[in-house]
Amino acid sequence: MKKLAVLALAGLVLVSAALFFPSAAAGRDLDECYRDHQRCRENALNLDAPWYKVTIILTVCDLALGKCILAL
Amino acid sequence: MTTTLSTAGAMLVAASLAFPSAAQKTGRPPVENWNVIEVAAAANAADEACLARPVALALDKEAVYIVDAQDCALKIFSRDGRFLKAVGRKGRGPGELSFPAGVSVNGGRIYIADKFNYRTQIFDREGKPGGGFPLPFAPDKIFALDGETLLVTSNPTGRAAAERLLHIYDAGGRLRWEGLEARSSSDPVFDTFTNMILVCPGAAGAFFVVFRSGERSILHFAGSGALVGRIPVDERHAFRPVDLPFPGPQKRLLGFCWAAAWDRELFYLLAPAPVEGRDLGPGKRLSVIDRDGRLTAVIDLPCPVHRFIVDGTRVFAIDDEGGLRIFEVVR
Repeated sequence: MKKLAVLALAGLVLVSAALFFPSAAAGRDLDECYRDHQRCRENALNLDAPWYKVTIILTVCDLALGKCILAL
Repeated sequence: MTTTLSTAGAMLVAASLAFPSAAQKTGRPPVENWNVIEVAAAANAADEACLARPVALALDKEAVYIVDAQDCALKIFSRDGRFLKAVGRKGRGPGELSFPAGVSVNGGRIYIADKFNYRTQIFDREGKPGGGFPLPFAPDKIFALDGETLLVTSNPTGRAAAERLLHIYDAGGRLRWEGLEARSSSDPVFDTFTNMILVCPGAAGAFFVVFRSGERSILHFAGSGALVGRIPVDERHAFRPVDLPFPGPQKRLLGFCWAAAWDRELFYLLAPAPVEGRDLGPGKRLSVIDRDGRLTAVIDLPCPVHRFIVDGTRVFAIDDEGGLRIFEVVR
């Protein structure tokens, strides 16, 4: 009984994860997210701006990547 | 009285002989101050002459070549700063560019790192495209080490393990060597800074790598990619610390060099400088370092510069406003 409950819970977690995160079919979009992320980073680096500012821009790039991956 | 004075004088001389200066003690020559005179650049009326985002420059006997990432163009100036022509436009076709990030010139051929087209492109001096090859990464800087070998740098994406920062290709686009593994930790933003490198092409295909922060050794590579040695740089070219705005424990970067050049057996390292309070940006001071890593001279430029190249006593630099500045060094 205990085993069954654990299995059911694990199944629920997997199903909800699959629903929440982008599916494999959205693989192309993921690639696009990473491509945009790379562009964002390269743009930031080639600004040759002071480093504190670059840190903030790079952090924004990372946030945008997360947002894109989660399709928010 | 005279005897007392002469005894004191003798003691002073003896003391100065017994206690040599810091420079003598460490076997280092004293640091000279070299001056610069700005060479008046020719006025350029053409709109194309404006540099929107100059990200790299190269030089030969004929001209200065600057890639403009925003205008997606190569802009060519005479060595006295007169605008000659712009080559390329935004696009994906031959002769078109998408965020050109690096430029190098060798034997009349101009090599461009065409970043977002993931390729190198070659132009002749007239601006005609003459080949190039695709790359599996977005190239950053490019250096024609000789007529047959191209060194291409990349910024790590963080998507794969053990990414390499340096890639050597032959003229046909065949990969010959990859090296200098990107440093990685749990903090990809911090890693970005620790992986920032500057490359100075040397003589006979050799090249040098300078880390922009945290590392005061210059790496010396042969044209084959073999690491020849490390040149420890004199601590008189000091680190400039900056605390970055990371969450959690404070992270400090030790800024070492904003831009670098190598010419006639000397390294020129541009020291970063504090800007706007707590930030660190491009400075005005060039440290002249010899092949053994000793600081031999400093040059104070009249303005902060982002990138520069040295040819003998001439310094060609990009200033804070994206303008080409030419200086003559007076030793």
